[in-house]
Amino acid sequence: MSYLREIWDSRELLQNLTNREVRGKYRRTALGQLWSLANPIAAILIYTFIFSFIFRLPAQVGDPSGIDNYALWLVCGLLPWLFFNRVLTLGTESLVANAGLIQKVYFPRIVLPLSLTNATFFTWLLEMGVLVIALSLLGSFVIPWLPLVALFMMVFALFAVGLSMIFSIINVYFRDLSYLLTIVLQFWFYLTPILYPVELVATQSNKLGGLMGTGITLLDLYSLNPVEGFVEIFRNLLYDNRVPDLTTVLVALAWTISACVVGVWMYARKEKMLAELL
Amino acid sequence: MTEWAVRVSEVSKRFRLYHERNQTLKSAILRGRTSKHEDFWALNDISFDVLAGETHGLIGSNGSGKSTLLKCLAKIYWPTSGTIEYRGRMASLLEVGSGFHLELSGRENIYLNGSILGMSKKDIDSKFDEIVDFSGVERFLDQPVKNYSSGMYVRLGFSIAINVDPDILVVDEVLSVGDEEFQRKSFQKFRELKKQGKTIILVTHAMPVVRDLCDSVTWLNNGVLQQSGPAPKVVDAYLESVES
Repeated sequence: MSYLREIWDSRELLQNLTNREVRGKYRRTALGQLWSLANPIAAILIYTFIFSFIFRLPAQVGDPSGIDNYALWLVCGLLPWLFFNRVLTLGTESLVANAGLIQKVYFPRIVLPLSLTNATFFTWLLEMGVLVIALSLLGSFVIPWLPLVALFMMVFALFAVGLSMIFSIINVYFRDLSYLLTIVLQFWFYLTPILYPVELVATQSNKLGGLMGTGITLLDLYSLNPVEGFVEIFRNLLYDNRVPDLTTVLVALAWTISACVVGVWMYARKEKMLAELL
Repeated sequence: MTEWAVRVSEVSKRFRLYHERNQTLKSAILRGRTSKHEDFWALNDISFDVLAGETHGLIGSNGSGKSTLLKCLAKIYWPTSGTIEYRGRMASLLEVGSGFHLELSGRENIYLNGSILGMSKKDIDSKFDEIVDFSGVERFLDQPVKNYSSGMYVRLGFSIAINVDPDILVVDEVLSVGDEEFQRKSFQKFRELKKQGKTIILVTHAMPVVRDLCDSVTWLNNGVLQQSGPAPKVVDAYLESVES
């Protein structure tokens, strides 16, 4: 409890460190913050070209929104993923990268992954703003759903930061983790229904039936991925314009709470030793 | 009878010297256990009080453990056993300009660095002019700090740190920052802090500084407390042991 209080007391530091990340990043570039949109736009162009034009993946029709556009459908899942990817990559390195600071000044170390997540969240917010405009222009009546979208963005951010807290501590002990993570994130990306609809996995899973004589199907294993649920939630809200499935929401919340509890617990336990471990 | 501001009781600090440190997954998996190590006690059962309003020096030769003790006092390391208690707010100054962001301006860095050192925005606002004045970088305040000369950089860092305004200030050898004139100003500032009744703990190798500033001194050797007491007496004893 006292640890949570300490985090709360350092909110001003958190804000300043966030500003440092946001302002420092695109200094001395002509386009500034607009650069943060460049990556997603490039990804959208590439994936749409390959999957919609070459592979002829059928676009999903939003139910009940009725929109039918692969690029938009893709982006509703891709933007949360890109955010997740950045938080995890940067967050995992946040302690090792700030070793100099940790060894010279006392402050709650947890603000390091938190401030990175905040700064990344800010970029994600920009991206989502552009997406909302595009969705509105192309026929999704997304405005009434925005409060829920914002809420789940925060939940997803908490999940991501919880996980990156855990990883950042492990990375202090095993520096391999940050390298391993890039590979894991690649697998993770393709094992999440971002480029393709989950129905395709379901079809294959039905063909296979229960794996190795058990009742467990491929889809069951596939659905263990916590990000899958989040992607579904964001697509439901943004693309389909409907309330997500309650079970999906509850599972996502359970993942988020577990990640945060374990993350904060690890910081509370290990924080005092970080300066010598680094 | 003055009260203590910092009480160090039976503080010991153990470091692990790793012979085979498993910092990679491969070695952890291959060998199955975490690591082989040997214990090294950098501090051994240290106890002393620093009275409120006192300037206290930590002295000793290289490797005596005084920097480890200072880091424990600054809450960067945590004692393996024993406790350190504070009466009042503690701030530390181990390195100037830690956490400066090179692309950001001097102005932005004052706010950033100030908050890392534990100042609130309100504190910084009220101290802002003083910080700028003291550092003498006024003309370059809106330039990114990467364009600062090394002198300007440390002067700005020092000015922020010295204006944190804690009750207890823990200082590493930072008095040797900047040019002659800035050093004189720094000493002046330390005397002012002293006059305001702040408790200061500092590490230094410069005995003239110790004689000049410190009221009391703790002398460490190989992680063991040799003497703690009034400055002239302990400094004399220390110098004698070094010369013999």
